[in-house]
Amino acid sequence: MNYNFKHLILFLAPLMAIVALMYFMIIWTAGVSMTEWVGLVPSWKFIGLGNYTTLLGLGRFWVNLQNNVIWLATFILPTAAFGLLLAYGIELSGRAAFIWRPLFLYPIALSFVITGTLWAWMYDPGSGVINTILRALKLDFLAGSWIASPKLAIYCLVGTAIWQYTGFAMVLYLAAIHGIPPEIREAAMVDGASHLQIFRHIIVPNVGHATLIVVATLAIFSLKVFDLVWVMTMGAPGHRTEVLPYLMFIMAFQQYRGGVGTAISVIILLLAIGVVLPYARWAMKKWMG
Amino acid sequence: MIKRPQVFLYTLLILLAAIWLLPLYAMLTTSLKTPREVTAREFLTLPHRPNFANYVKALNSLGRGLINSMIISLPATALAVFIGSWGGYFLSMFKFKYAQSIFFTTAIVTFLPYHIILIPFTQLMARLNLVNTYPGLILAYVILNAPTAALITSTFFSKIPKELQEAAALDGCGPVTFYWKILLPIALIGIAATAILVFTLIWNEFLLGVTLTQGSSVKPAMPVLAELKGTFVAQWHIQMAGAILTAIPPLLIFVFLGRYFVTGLIAGTLH
Repeated sequence: MNYNFKHLILFLAPLMAIVALMYFMIIWTAGVSMTEWVGLVPSWKFIGLGNYTTLLGLGRFWVNLQNNVIWLATFILPTAAFGLLLAYGIELSGRAAFIWRPLFLYPIALSFVITGTLWAWMYDPGSGVINTILRALKLDFLAGSWIASPKLAIYCLVGTAIWQYTGFAMVLYLAAIHGIPPEIREAAMVDGASHLQIFRHIIVPNVGHATLIVVATLAIFSLKVFDLVWVMTMGAPGHRTEVLPYLMFIMAFQQYRGGVGTAISVIILLLAIGVVLPYARWAMKKWMG
Repeated sequence: MIKRPQVFLYTLLILLAAIWLLPLYAMLTTSLKTPREVTAREFLTLPHRPNFANYVKALNSLGRGLINSMIISLPATALAVFIGSWGGYFLSMFKFKYAQSIFFTTAIVTFLPYHIILIPFTQLMARLNLVNTYPGLILAYVILNAPTAALITSTFFSKIPKELQEAAALDGCGPVTFYWKILLPIALIGIAATAILVFTLIWNEFLLGVTLTQGSSVKPAMPVLAELKGTFVAQWHIQMAGAILTAIPPLLIFVFLGRYFVTGLIAGTLH
């Protein structure tokens, strides 16, 4: 179809204006992170890496960074593994798949504020759901302080996210399993392979691209988790569940230290770009076909 | 004859499904109990007499927020999907030099956590006097979601056969007419899936709702629900009723338009 330069502008200008604004805001953030900021608006007084050295000297920053690392280390693997196992189990259940799938997928449609409210009730140390069930099962010794416990609290949050995202991993793995030519599995069945052997030698090696998507998405989520922390713990106990985006919010919007806030934004950007850049390259190549 | 591995498989699936459904069940039963039943830890049994007063109380606090969320989410979704598909169409169906670079740069800002531009974003909105206004929130969500919509729709559009475009061109159809008369009808499912995903994202968003509003006049439902936790501390029956009320739109979408929701979800990863 013929088109001219006018068409190019007409169709792409609104989208490109928005994308350009976003890049501008990223650059603005990087710029402001090197200035002093007192009060409600930036003062544009250059102080070099001053905000960064302030951050590096702040114990709370390191606790937050460590918590983001805990998210990366404990959220991605179980979610992906649960998702893959469920996908295979559901695939094996044959025509019943359409019943099972929504039972595991529905949490992804809910907002983090809703699931956070709900799981705060599940984990409540007093009369909460989990402790009540454990007591009813005469398993009192397992009843704990969960979300109020300095050691357990962050894993309670991770658990909520695993519950919410397993269905997401599952649908991606289901799609990937459907993409494996059925002849391969049929041939293995004829040769007497067990379901477990098929899982290990045929399914796992052939769902690599789904793993790539799942791991990248969950890694990005681990770096930006915010709503769950806000709703479930407000960063407590101590700063044991606090993460970098949360600290960014507190610095910028509660303590009006925008310079330090933008410096945290830049650090989150640097962490995220390591995942986003290769993923965007992969997506572009795939899109080109 | 039922084989042993199948018994094992179904037992496992039923057990896991029970775990996955427990929070939903607890949310429902708790929301229908009286405070006395909750403190007496009798919230997991089915209620003898459902206590709907909890929902009235929760709705008193949340009603305005729910209406605000609708007023904001619907036009923001329509605009974001229009701008996104309008650009995504040109990007995927016309050969030009910079198409790849545009896709790449758009993908980067789509996947980056938007938290990193929160500070300049609120500064910009304050400069434009758009804080605490419907147009401000709508604009914010359009900016945040139009790139996402562009990428998702462009993956749908790139599957449309090129011959269709050539045939339309022979009939004298230009790029604009093609978008309205041919593309929209044939790519309707992809566009609907995109709109459903974008609507859910906007409805569920929290951080911008907090930073771009003051008071309750335009505040969306999610920040109001988070505040409800502070107003009704440890009154779990009210909190659960509030959580269910705010979950209704996404859950309705999930139940009745589940197929489109999943299509959009998968397309959103640029699979």
